Amino acid sequence: MLQMNNVSKIYRTDTVETHALREFSLKVEEGEFVSVTGPSGSGKTTFLNIAGLLEDLSSGTYELDGRDISKLNDRERSKVRNEKIGFIFQSFNLIPELNIFDNVDVPLRYRGFKAPERRKRIEESLELVGLASRLEHMPAQLSGGQQQRVAIARALAGEPRFLLADEPTGNLDTNMADSVMDLLGEINSTGTTIIMVTHELTLATRANRNIFVRDGSVSDGPGDLQLAAVAG
Amino acid sequence: MELGPIWRAILRNKSSYALIALQIAVTMAIMVNAIAIIQERATQMARPSGTDEDNIITLTSVAFVPDADMRTMIDEDLALLRGMPGVRDAIATNSFPLRSGGWSMSLSTEPGPNSDGIGTAIYFSDEHAIETFGTNLVAGENFAADEITWNNREVSTWPATGILTRALAEELFPEETGSLVGKTVFINENDPVKIVGIVDRLQAPWNGWERVENSMLVPSRRDGEFQRYVIRTEPGMRDEMIPRIEAALAANKDRIIENVRSMTEVRERSYTGDSAMITMLTFIVSLLTVITGLGIVGLASFSVSRRTRQIGVRRALGATRPEIMRYFMIENFLISSVGIITGGILAVALNIYMVQEFALTPLAWYVVPIAMVILWLVGQAAVAGPARRASGISPSIATRSI
Repeated sequence: MLQMNNVSKIYRTDTVETHALREFSLKVEEGEFVSVTGPSGSGKTTFLNIAGLLEDLSSGTYELDGRDISKLNDRERSKVRNEKIGFIFQSFNLIPELNIFDNVDVPLRYRGFKAPERRKRIEESLELVGLASRLEHMPAQLSGGQQQRVAIARALAGEPRFLLADEPTGNLDTNMADSVMDLLGEINSTGTTIIMVTHELTLATRANRNIFVRDGSVSDGPGDLQLAAVAG
Repeated sequence: MELGPIWRAILRNKSSYALIALQIAVTMAIMVNAIAIIQERATQMARPSGTDEDNIITLTSVAFVPDADMRTMIDEDLALLRGMPGVRDAIATNSFPLRSGGWSMSLSTEPGPNSDGIGTAIYFSDEHAIETFGTNLVAGENFAADEITWNNREVSTWPATGILTRALAEELFPEETGSLVGKTVFINENDPVKIVGIVDRLQAPWNGWERVENSMLVPSRRDGEFQRYVIRTEPGMRDEMIPRIEAALAANKDRIIENVRSMTEVRERSYTGDSAMITMLTFIVSLLTVITGLGIVGLASFSVSRRTRQIGVRRALGATRPEIMRYFMIENFLISSVGIITGGILAVALNIYMVQEFALTPLAWYVVPIAMVILWLVGQAAVAGPARRASGISPSIATRSI
């Protein structure tokens, strides 16, 4: 489903060249739940940005659902993001001026769904995350865990095949984090592919597979070893 | 279209947008009424004077020799002028259209002090007046040469005939459907004047006068020291005739020639105040519009900066660049619409007040829609830059820790 071969990402300024990803290769099959761990600055978020088509890669190849992403223009990349990928961010990224209903509605409008279809999807996705009764609430009226659930509902409303989560529990306490992880597990069990970036190894164990990133590359050793250690 | 969510988001941040909407409303109200005033002045300035302005020269002759024989001097001057190659005709008169100074009287259809009079300008002249001014005799006949008299301050009798403008004749006899030639009107309360002719148009000297279209040609010349000559040249010869005429008249050393002007210059001087008013109002409206545009640029730029992350999130969720741009354009359109509609109501209210208090012409129906379109376009143009900047924000902003 997702295949990166020798992907590199270089950030350049006038005087500095930073290699955020080096020869990064990864294959993720449909229905997998993959966690990506690694120290700060290792390139986890850069990987996520490239996987989610939020940034261009500098070299290498990236295929999503068999399509060469590097050949897509900006409009096509937006369409792929909208239709195939759901995003869950660490800081939820709900739009503060919109109520819960309108927040979940945002990607559906870009998708071009008619109003009745959008309403159905919004209500179903909010039902799934247990917030069907909060349609009119504003984000500031919800707890962090609830806001993250709204963000998950927003990500799921378009029925993406691919869910990218960037530290989804980073701003939540332990109970809320468990609850969100349970929800991600349920979503994965329905066949949605999930890639989750996290620095918490205990959460990474909830995934089927862990990728450990160091210095911008997939590291051979520590990923599974560390998870085994944590699990043991 | 995201009208609903954008509108709801605006309502949740009313205070941020109220000021710019108010600014747009005030600009709208001022713009509409300024346009109305400009339009009214421009319409006034465009009114024809009823003369062949492109080919007319006016000048003043001031005799300063005591006891000068003015009648002889005037006859000689007119003979000289009429005989010059390039001159079509010439008259001596007390005034002419657009001069801003002249003689007015009241005419009525019944004799006596209590009858309601209609104001009119009086032009003392002779049988050459119609040809010299270049106006059209539409009914009746011209004065005969032998009925022209002389008058001065001491002679208070009025000639028994007159040629009226159509506007004056129709105002005097509003119910009459037949020819008005041959009717008698009264001047100076009891002096009868028979209408012998009607000209299409010949404005009074005062352009701001409400009865500016009312004037009467009188078959009489005044023999005072101050004489105003109106000279009509052959087409296209006006400018070259000005120095020749001035030189020819200056040969008589018993008087001085001054205020030699083309009718075009007379018109410009007559409407100097109106021209200045139009220039000033145009400047004020332009300045206000630019300031409002800059206000919109400022607000939109601030809005884009404040919502950088939100824009990145929208991009991450699938918004294309044009959709981000459209978001800000629609948002501005809605905010502008509040200001423009409020301003439209204010503008109409202000116009009603000005019509009542200052006798301004009521707004033409199309002025408000035109001003609305202008301000909408200004708003959209002003927001285009910040909106384009917003559309360039990377979706990767969404994953950055800010």
